[in-house]
Amino acid sequence: MKDIHVKETKYTPEIIYTAADNTMSIKGKSYPENADEFYAPVFEWLEKFFKEDNELHLTVNIELVYFNSSSSKALLNFLDMLEDAGDNDMKIVVNWIYDEEDDNMLEYGEEFKEDIDSIEFLLVPIESA
Amino acid sequence: MLDDLYGVTSDLGNEGIFFCLSGPMSQELLVEIGGAIKNKMLMDEASKSTMSQVFSIIVEMVQNIIFYSDEKLEYEQLGETSSCNVGLIAVGEEKDSYFVMSGNMIKNEKVNRLKNRIEKLVAMSKDELKKFYKEQRRAGPDEYSKGAGLGYIEMARKTSRPLGFEFREIDENMSFFSIITYV
Repeated sequence: MKDIHVKETKYTPEIIYTAADNTMSIKGKSYPENADEFYAPVFEWLEKFFKEDNELHLTVNIELVYFNSSSSKALLNFLDMLEDAGDNDMKIVVNWIYDEEDDNMLEYGEEFKEDIDSIEFLLVPIESA
Repeated sequence: MLDDLYGVTSDLGNEGIFFCLSGPMSQELLVEIGGAIKNKMLMDEASKSTMSQVFSIIVEMVQNIIFYSDEKLEYEQLGETSSCNVGLIAVGEEKDSYFVMSGNMIKNEKVNRLKNRIEKLVAMSKDELKKFYKEQRRAGPDEYSKGAGLGYIEMARKTSRPLGFEFREIDENMSFFSIITYV
């Protein structure tokens, strides 16, 4: 599968996939008016990836400093897709990376973690910038 | 009006309001509002958590205006008619907390539905709100929502005091809806 790179904007995150190390990252802020519309191409890509690629593992780094409620729904859909792939024997690790001083992002991470069973979901604090 | 402008600004100041914007709202404007409030809160040495909670409420409120306000400004652009939804957003301080308020016109026929929805949230405990948030996030929005239908639940979860809200009937068609949250 080819690499992807969606550039960051003032209110949407940077999204990168690098085939070399099977890593996907979502980084920045996410508060578009219409999150479904923004994430639709990413989801399409992901569906294709799971269908066509025979990779055995995928690492997903989510490093969001802020997201709005409609992005929260989109993220849940995203994690659901990862879970389905996890159920199909792909080894998936999600790193939820958050600023150690931002309790909100920790709490959101914990709540996503509660809703996930079949993939590894790690809460990773990083030092505050 | 000109001689009264000082009156308007000192009224805002007396209420503790340090930021207030009333007019057509847009996503681009929201980015700028966020930046202005962030600068002010950095000067206050507010914590990261407080800053992100205030920002989160501003985003949900302004996007609600963008989606649902029933007062619209229409304008022509390149031969096409576009519209911008009008509302008000204000941020202030009261003792040890920040508050964020918003207001916009809504059609009278929508008042009851929104009122019931918010009353239901106000009556819930934080645990019930968390459960409801997760259920709604899983279930997806109802037919009246344009986003994920989670904005008010998010506000109810973030507020340190119960959400305050009011509907004032303006005429036979419209009411003014206002809501306040505290962080």
